[in-house]
Amino acid sequence: MLKTPDSVAGEELRERLSAFDDDAFTGERRSLALERFFTTPSGRQRPGPYWKIDIETLSPSPPSIAKASGSVLIDNSNARLIACDLATAAREHPALLGRALGATRVQATKFGALATAFQNAGVFVYVPADAATDEPVVITYNAPDGASLFPYTIVLAERGARATVVERLEGGAEAFVCGATEIVTGEGAEITYAGCQQLAASARVVQTRAALPGRDASVAWACAELGAGLTITDLSVAIERPGAEARITALFFPKGSQHVDVVSTVDHVVGESTSQTIVKSAAVDDGQARYLGNIRIAPRAQGSDASLRDDALLLSARAHIDSVPALEIGANDVKAFHGATVGALDADQIFYMETRGIERNAAERMIALGFFEPAIAHFPTDALRAVIRTALAAKFS
Amino acid sequence: MSEPGLRIVDLHCRVAGKEILKGIDLAVEPGKVHALMGPNGSGKSTLAFSLTGHPQYEITQGSARLDGEDLLALAPDKRARAGLFLSFQYPAAIPGIKVANFLHAARQAVRPGDLAPAKFRALLMEKMDVLGMDPSFMGRYLNDGFSGGEKKRLEMLQLAVLAPKYAVLDETDSGLDVDALKDVCDSLTALRAGDEGRGAGFLIITHYPRILQYITPDVVHVMIDGRIVMTGGHDLADRIEREGYDTIREEIAAIA
Repeated sequence: MLKTPDSVAGEELRERLSAFDDDAFTGERRSLALERFFTTPSGRQRPGPYWKIDIETLSPSPPSIAKASGSVLIDNSNARLIACDLATAAREHPALLGRALGATRVQATKFGALATAFQNAGVFVYVPADAATDEPVVITYNAPDGASLFPYTIVLAERGARATVVERLEGGAEAFVCGATEIVTGEGAEITYAGCQQLAASARVVQTRAALPGRDASVAWACAELGAGLTITDLSVAIERPGAEARITALFFPKGSQHVDVVSTVDHVVGESTSQTIVKSAAVDDGQARYLGNIRIAPRAQGSDASLRDDALLLSARAHIDSVPALEIGANDVKAFHGATVGALDADQIFYMETRGIERNAAERMIALGFFEPAIAHFPTDALRAVIRTALAAKFS
Repeated sequence: MSEPGLRIVDLHCRVAGKEILKGIDLAVEPGKVHALMGPNGSGKSTLAFSLTGHPQYEITQGSARLDGEDLLALAPDKRARAGLFLSFQYPAAIPGIKVANFLHAARQAVRPGDLAPAKFRALLMEKMDVLGMDPSFMGRYLNDGFSGGEKKRLEMLQLAVLAPKYAVLDETDSGLDVDALKDVCDSLTALRAGDEGRGAGFLIITHYPRILQYITPDVVHVMIDGRIVMTGGHDLADRIEREGYDTIREEIAAIA
C-alpha cells in the first residue's frame, strides 16, 4: 500500500516549494519532482519487526525547509577540473550540466525526487577528456542544526578522464538531509566517489546515488555511514555500455539506537561488464541495520562477471543486522558470486590475542576494527581512511 | 619466597565433559628445556591450553604456578603478562590486523613502554632476520593466507619479541621442512643466548624427536592417556626414535 504524507503536510511542502525557482532547477522541474515524491513508493520493504521507522512516510518538517540552508565547501586543486556550485554551473556551463542532470535513475526514485524538489545546496564537478588527477575534489556539506538540507552533487567525466571525489557530510543536530548524487561518464573514464557521513546522532539522512558509466569506464562508490540516528542509502550503478566496471563498497556501524538501511544495486544491462560489491557492517547496543544487495544480469548481458561479498558482525545481544543478497540472473554465460555472513566475534581469535597479553576488550576492538579493513582499503586517501578508522574506533568508547 | 619455575601439580582437565588430563605433575625450572612427548591424542595440547586458560578447558583439580603465581586464578591475558607464552599448533588467522601492529600491541601489553617505536622496529628486523623472514611480513594480515611454515615462523617471531619467562611450544616442528626447522631452532638458540631470553624455561611438545636434535632437552617426559608415564634424559627421546611408543605402553601396562 502506498502511503504519502497526509494532505495537510503535503500542502505545506507545496507551499514551501513556491519559493524555489532558479537557473539550475526550475520551479517546474521542482514541482514535478515533489509530486513524484508524493506518488512514488520507496520500493523498500520494512526491514523487520525490530525496525522502528516507517520509510514510506518519512518526510521533512515543512518549517525546517529554507532556500538558503547549510554550507558547502569545495576543495579542488586541479586546474583542469571544474568544481563549482550548481547555480554557477547553470550560469556558466549550462550545456555540460544538462548532459548529466537527471541522466540517471535518481530523479525517478522517491527520495531522489524529494532531493530534486528542494535542492538547496549542490556541486557540479566536470572532468575534461583525458584529464587525470591525483588530488581528490573534496566537497564538505554542513547541515545546520534543525534544518533540512538537500545536497545535489553531479559528476560529469569525459572520455578517458580520471578523478576522485570525496564527499563529507557533517553537522546537523535534529537535521533532515536528503541528498542526491549522479555520476555520468564517457568512454574509458575512471571515477571514484567516496561518501563519509558523520552527521549528529539526532539527524536523519536519506541518500540516493546513481551512476551511468560509459563504455569501458569504471565507477566506484565507497560509502561510510557513520553518523545520524537514521541512515537510508541507495547506491546504484547501471551498466548500459559494454566493458564497464562497477565497484560498490559500503560500511556502517550502528550504535546506541542508530538505524541504517542500505540498498545497493548493480544492473548489468549489457554484457562483458564486471561488478564487485563489498559490504562490511557491525552493530552494537540497540543498533539496527539492513543491507539489501541487488545484482541484476539482464538476458542479453552475456559475459557479465558480478561478485557480492557482505559480512556483518553483531557485537551485542540486542543489535540486529539483516543481510539480503538478491541475485537475478537472466543470462547463462555469466559469473556471479555472492557470499554473506552474520555472526559474533570469533572466540579463537580473541583467545589467541589474549594469550599475547592483550586484554579481552582491546582484543575485541582490534578484531572488530580489523574486520572493516578490507572495505576501508577501497576508500581513497590516507586522510579519509584515518577519519573512518577514528570514527569506527570511537564506536567502542 | 616460593620456588621459581613453571610448576604443575596433579592437574586434571576436562574438555566437553570428558576428562583428558588425569593428574599431571611437571616442573620446568628457569633456563631448562623440557620435552613433552607422546602419541596423538595423549593430552599434550590439552595441557598447553589448560595452562594458557582456554575457556573450553575446565580445570577440575590441581594447580599450576609460574614463579609462585597462581596461573589458574588469572585470565589468559594476565597469564601472558605474568610471563607465559604458548606457541600454537594452529594459530588463528585474523584478517584486518597487520602483523606489525599486532606484535607492537602484544609487546606493549607484556612489556609496557619499554621500547621506543624505532627501537622496536630494529628489534623486529633483527629477530626476523634470524628466522629468515622477509620484512614484507610486517604488512600482511595476521596469519591470513599464511602457509603452515609461515605461521610457525610467526609464532617463533612472537616468542622472540615477547621473550617470556616460560614458553610452551605446541608441535612447533610439525609440518616444517628441514630448512624451516633449522631457522626455528636458530631463533630459539638466539633467544636463549640473548639478554631477554636468558633464564627462560621451555616446554617443547612434540611427537617426533627430530626437533630435539637441534635443541637438546634437559628432561624428557612421555605422556600417554592424560598422564606422564615416564621421565628421563635425552636417551628417552632416542629410545622413542628407535622403538616408537609401543614398548613404553607395554612396559607401563606390565608395571600396572
